Amino acid sequence: RSVMAACAKGLDRCILSLRLLRNVKLQHERFLSTSLCHLAAGNSSQQPPKFIPPSKPVIVDKTQKVASLRKFLSPEFIPPRQRTDPVKFSMERKDMVRRRKVLNIPEFYAGSILAVTMADPCASGKTNRFVGICIQRGGKGLGATFILRNIIDGQGIEICYDLYSPRIQTIEVLKLEKRLDDNLMYLRDALPEYSTVDLGMKPVPFSPTGEVPVNKLKVKMRPKPWSKRWERPKFNIQGIRFDLSLTPEKMEHAQKWAQPWQEYDMLKEYDTSTLEEQILSEVQREMSK
Amino acid sequence: PAHLVGSLRTVKTTTWFEEHLTEDNQEYMRKSIAEEYTRQTAEKLNPLKDEPWQRHEWTEGSRRVGLVAVKLGMAPMWTKTGERHVVTMLQVQDCHVIKHLSKEEYDGHTAALVVGGKNVSPFHRSGTEMEMFRNAGVPPKQKVTTFKVSDNAIIKPAMQFLYYFCNVILSVVCSGTPLYAAHFRPGQYVDVTAKSIGKGFQGVMKRWGFKGQPATHGQTKTHRRPGASGPGGDPAKVFKGKKMPGMMGNIYITAFGLKIWRVNTKHNVLYVNGSVPGHRNCLLKIRDTVLPNRSSTVLNPPFPTYFTEEEGDLDEDLYDENLFIHTEPSLTLT
Repeated sequence: RSVMAACAKGLDRCILSLRLLRNVKLQHERFLSTSLCHLAAGNSSQQPPKFIPPSKPVIVDKTQKVASLRKFLSPEFIPPRQRTDPVKFSMERKDMVRRRKVLNIPEFYAGSILAVTMADPCASGKTNRFVGICIQRGGKGLGATFILRNIIDGQGIEICYDLYSPRIQTIEVLKLEKRLDDNLMYLRDALPEYSTVDLGMKPVPFSPTGEVPVNKLKVKMRPKPWSKRWERPKFNIQGIRFDLSLTPEKMEHAQKWAQPWQEYDMLKEYDTSTLEEQILSEVQREMSK
Repeated sequence: PAHLVGSLRTVKTTTWFEEHLTEDNQEYMRKSIAEEYTRQTAEKLNPLKDEPWQRHEWTEGSRRVGLVAVKLGMAPMWTKTGERHVVTMLQVQDCHVIKHLSKEEYDGHTAALVVGGKNVSPFHRSGTEMEMFRNAGVPPKQKVTTFKVSDNAIIKPAMQFLYYFCNVILSVVCSGTPLYAAHFRPGQYVDVTAKSIGKGFQGVMKRWGFKGQPATHGQTKTHRRPGASGPGGDPAKVFKGKKMPGMMGNIYITAFGLKIWRVNTKHNVLYVNGSVPGHRNCLLKIRDTVLPNRSSTVLNPPFPTYFTEEEGDLDEDLYDENLFIHTEPSLTLT
């Protein structure tokens, strides 16, 4: 209050600002005092006092020196809920780890942009390189696959690769990101601009720590008919701009195929958290050997 | 009352082991039996104590024993040229030779060996079955089959004259010869027999692949029916064996000429090409191929069977020469 009284030269002009400031309940008295002094000084013709910035407190967090790496377990390691002997899954996992020691299979999700070079007897130089968006990751165990989509010369092309096939020589992640859905099959019915990926794209750097960026892009669709009725609740798609292609009445009509009882069905629950932790620790142990 | 006729227990003769025992005794029975059987399966045939039968060499036209295995599941595998094939994994769990039937006992032409598969609890087996397993000194098995064997390939099941001593000594000293997955080698061809998946009472279209009738164009109540059942007035009958609706599946089917790509000696698993009849975790009978063009003379598989003491340690995984092993670098096709 004494500081405020000292800057009483331009008080009439400062009354409004003061009232506002008091209502807002500023935390930093220093800020208030400096701004007021500045305002007050600007009215008179005297030289403005030299602005001395307050000393900033430097916060050093000594508890976490290095940020921990993102824990990622590839979805094909998680066994499906079946009446199979766990011996079969453990043997498959050993084979998968052996292959991963030779070929580096990076972390990626549906929506990331990948480049794959594969051995091909018919191609010149015996290898062919394909760049595209990953629209789906399917299969479990050694038969895991992923589909890359791109549009080349106006023609949409999708290639389904086996993750553990010996013909694959390198897999590079050019851009690591997630989308709002796990399955981007609707890109087939979307405008071509959303599926085109530049073939000579440079890899976008991403950090191995922290969260994976989620691209909340909502895609515009071509006019109906589509290959599948993506508005139906069984697909549960978040990444399409339905308001541009469908009226609200049609959206309501699509909700007729909703099955709201499924989320309460206890027999369909498959809790993989403990399994995931076990398998992740096992895989990390084997990979570090 | 009429509605309880099927659900009332009419046969009151046989009892089950738990009926007259207290809970402590039941638990003790279970534990002791489990320990005894693990001891029996872990024991291998000791050549010094048990006087093994003479080992003959392989001759033209001799047949060796087969194995009983469990179907685990299927997995993909790749060859060195990059082609993808599917493979079924069969695990040999506790396979023992139980009895030897000589030529005269069996059918007068060939000798036979009775082999048993997966271990199972003794509490739900009948007395006659248990006697056979007790003679062999082996835990009771879920599947028991006979394999026709030539005389030079018979394997010793157990010492039968020691049966007159108390059972404790019997279980310690002798047990049936165990059979392992290394009995088969990669590159060999096998026949696999199993009970196919039961589909129940099925119509003629699913069971025999009939075409049925069209869905529209005036068909009255006839879309999946067999149609005509025979020639007509001349035979004036329906021939025996006419394909008609009935029970489908749950019969023994043999898949011939399946190649073995890989043998895992640690877990006793065989990787067999293609698919095999039966559901997951079902028991199968595996034997060397009958097909003349796929007989394995070049490979020299162990004859009469693979003995761990005599043949020493094999690698954990035996691979076929065309199979791509995952520890190798990626393929570069030239």
